Amino acid sequence: MATVPKVDVGTDYKEKYGFFVPEDFVFKAKRGLNPEIVKEISWMKKEPEWMLKFRLRSLEIFRKKPMPKWGADLSVIDFENIFYYLKASDRQSKTWEDLPPDIKATYDRLGVPEAERKFLAGVSAQYESEVVYHSLQESLTKKGVIFTDTDSALRDYPELFKEYFGTVIPPADNKFSALNSAVWSGGSFIYVPKGVRVEVPLQAYFRINAENMGQFERTLIICDEGSFVHYIEGCTAPIYTTDSLHSAVVEIIVKRNARCRYTTIQNWSTNVFNLVTKRALAYGDATMEWVDGNLGSQITMKYPSVYLMEPGAKGDVLSVAFAGKGQHQDAGGKMIHVAPNTTSTITSKSISKGGGRTSYRGHIKMYPDAKNSKSFVKCDALLLDDESRSDTYPYNDVDAENVTLGHEATVSKVSDEQLFYLMSRGITRSEAETMIVNGFIEPFTKELPLEYAVELNRLIQLEMEGSVG
Amino acid sequence: MPFTLESMEEIASLHGEPDWLRKRRRSSFDAFERLPMPSRIDEEWRRTDVSGLDPAQYSTLEHLNGQKLVLPSTLPPGVILKPLRQAAQDHPELVEPRLFSLVHADRDRFSALHAAFFTGGTFLYVPDGVVINQPVIGQHFSHEGGTSVLPHTLIIAGKGARFDYLDEYIAEHDDEAGYRSGSTEIFLGDGAQVGYVAIQKWGRNVWHFADQRAELKKDSTLRLFNVTLGGKFSKTRIEASLVGQGADAELKAIYFASGEQFFDFHTLQDHQVGNTRSDLLFKGALQDRARTVYAGLIRIEKGAAHSDAYQANRNLVLSDHAKATSIPMLEIDNNDVRCTHGATVGPVDPISMFYLQSRGIPEATARRMIVQGFFGQVLERIPFEHARALVEAELEARLG
Repeated sequence: MATVPKVDVGTDYKEKYGFFVPEDFVFKAKRGLNPEIVKEISWMKKEPEWMLKFRLRSLEIFRKKPMPKWGADLSVIDFENIFYYLKASDRQSKTWEDLPPDIKATYDRLGVPEAERKFLAGVSAQYESEVVYHSLQESLTKKGVIFTDTDSALRDYPELFKEYFGTVIPPADNKFSALNSAVWSGGSFIYVPKGVRVEVPLQAYFRINAENMGQFERTLIICDEGSFVHYIEGCTAPIYTTDSLHSAVVEIIVKRNARCRYTTIQNWSTNVFNLVTKRALAYGDATMEWVDGNLGSQITMKYPSVYLMEPGAKGDVLSVAFAGKGQHQDAGGKMIHVAPNTTSTITSKSISKGGGRTSYRGHIKMYPDAKNSKSFVKCDALLLDDESRSDTYPYNDVDAENVTLGHEATVSKVSDEQLFYLMSRGITRSEAETMIVNGFIEPFTKELPLEYAVELNRLIQLEMEGSVG
Repeated sequence: MPFTLESMEEIASLHGEPDWLRKRRRSSFDAFERLPMPSRIDEEWRRTDVSGLDPAQYSTLEHLNGQKLVLPSTLPPGVILKPLRQAAQDHPELVEPRLFSLVHADRDRFSALHAAFFTGGTFLYVPDGVVINQPVIGQHFSHEGGTSVLPHTLIIAGKGARFDYLDEYIAEHDDEAGYRSGSTEIFLGDGAQVGYVAIQKWGRNVWHFADQRAELKKDSTLRLFNVTLGGKFSKTRIEASLVGQGADAELKAIYFASGEQFFDFHTLQDHQVGNTRSDLLFKGALQDRARTVYAGLIRIEKGAAHSDAYQANRNLVLSDHAKATSIPMLEIDNNDVRCTHGATVGPVDPISMFYLQSRGIPEATARRMIVQGFFGQVLERIPFEHARALVEAELEARLG
């Protein structure tokens, strides 16, 4: 067999994506983590007493919980060497023009204004730890939709906030949800009233832009009965030399007959630890869909989950992971069937190259009451060279009667036959490989809004361009 | 006789065991003393609860004199078939380098207990190029409740050797309680072809632990078939290391769990070199309040290009209260491989039931036919007729 040239992807990442704008902070908490820092954060934000207590209790839990022994290697994280709070600008901007110039410069590189010029309804962009730019189309406000940053929501809608906050993911869920609960800052808050359909996707771009700075955003989405919303988070981050920690918590409540879709394009720079807890509760006949793309970061551990609480609830996870040199994408999904007649699917596509490692880790649990439920999991892995690695760890627990559960996985390389066919049509090897990879993740890209699909295809193309051949 | 150093020494001296074996028992005993009981914090034991087990309760050992061997009418010259402890004395050059080299004594507390106190067991050595046409059968009986039965099988297949072997674990009384382990090590030389079947039908109240592990050299073929029916708790590890190019391991199993039975299976298809093939299929039916856990791993090591591995676990859930867990895992370190796995858990297909009943077949019979059909496909893979007939009869009786 002829030797297959190594696919070299992402070597020019720094030039293309690795930019940063000098820091200009209003307030920067000290490094490290202790009750004083937590009190300071809460004081800076002028939070109510219950939130301060919640934070302190969470910190206590964080200290007690051991590091997870499974998954990726997290031993290098130094919790004492991280900034837990930054505030880049002390007021919320109403229009694009109001934004500080350096922040605008950052977004120009990301193409946000262009996206907005097109048709996007609301841009809630997180710069550093807090949402500083925020625009909502009037029509949304008229419909009663709340789309704001989480800090403002705590201030402006205290009752609604308190009713749902921390109810889907309690601080004690895991070590990193406890950490987030102690030091959270920023994130999006969305409330969609009964029967309201938000026809355009709501988006938040956010970036990490300070060395050794953690981002602990906290997102809470409530879809009231019969409503629909599509929320998109996408992120790119500049490259730094020391490790950065991103540990978000996303809580979603999808009430009867409602539907929520949450799309993520995660493209942190390859020094970021991305340890995220995402969970949704889906009630009667509700639908929750996670569309989750993980391209960047050094280590990602993320398993979006849906708790199917009432009959007829439906959960979907569509996940793509791309791991290059030095990267480990440990991603997957969880479906917890609590009620009868619930259905779920998980589709995972992963690509490893240049010594990267992708792991699918999933859990399907059917509790005794989840009669007549169905779940199907499909994992496909593509290994682009012989240095890379792919793992599959699916946990399937069935305690209910008359349920159907299926799991399938395949691991393969770019097939010689496909390459031969394309090259015999005059296409170069690297072009052919790019086409095959893009084809492989097509089930994912076709679920994305157009501009994201284009961006993703371009990104794959870019990462594949380094190919020798 | 408790599980103490003294009783271990007693076992060893009773049979005049050689020093090296005595030492090996001794270090296994140390491991047994040192290792904690597995708890639910350990990933492998998260769904497998051994907190109700105290092996010391069953420290009377049965079978100090070995077990019954059913010999083929004629054994070709050069073949050695005898109780393992006898072989340890007579053929140290064969036994010493291999015994407990695949099944490690310090893997956990139960493996250590087994290696320190194993009593019965068989040694089979088939020299290069030798073919045995009739299956060799080792039958391990338990005669009384409240005891421990700890047999160990060591099989060595020389280059190009060809034979079939059956381990049968049989209880005299179905309701006996006790502690059982039945471990097997199989070494396949270049080009060897071995069929191995283990049928576990201990009583319904015993704790059973088994490690079955094979090492396959160049171009060798193993067809392993495991049948698990007995025990209130049964944990079986079935592992194959493919260490020579062209090695081919077929690992198949069926289990039928009813009542309050709990079965745990742990499998490994370890492709250490390339051009190797493994094919695993575990099929189980669960009835009443039975619970099963299947956790299997395909590991393809870095250099193991052109490996072809398949892994499937299928569970047929026949009652409302049975629980099945299936965890089929992959760790793939080479891109030039073919690797697929799948798992299903599901009830009897209502459409098939409807079809059969519409043909006038009573519900109970229809169900039984569907279960038989479910197992039928894999029963065909039992490597030799004698074992196939045994398993079919056993299933027939249990499906009732």
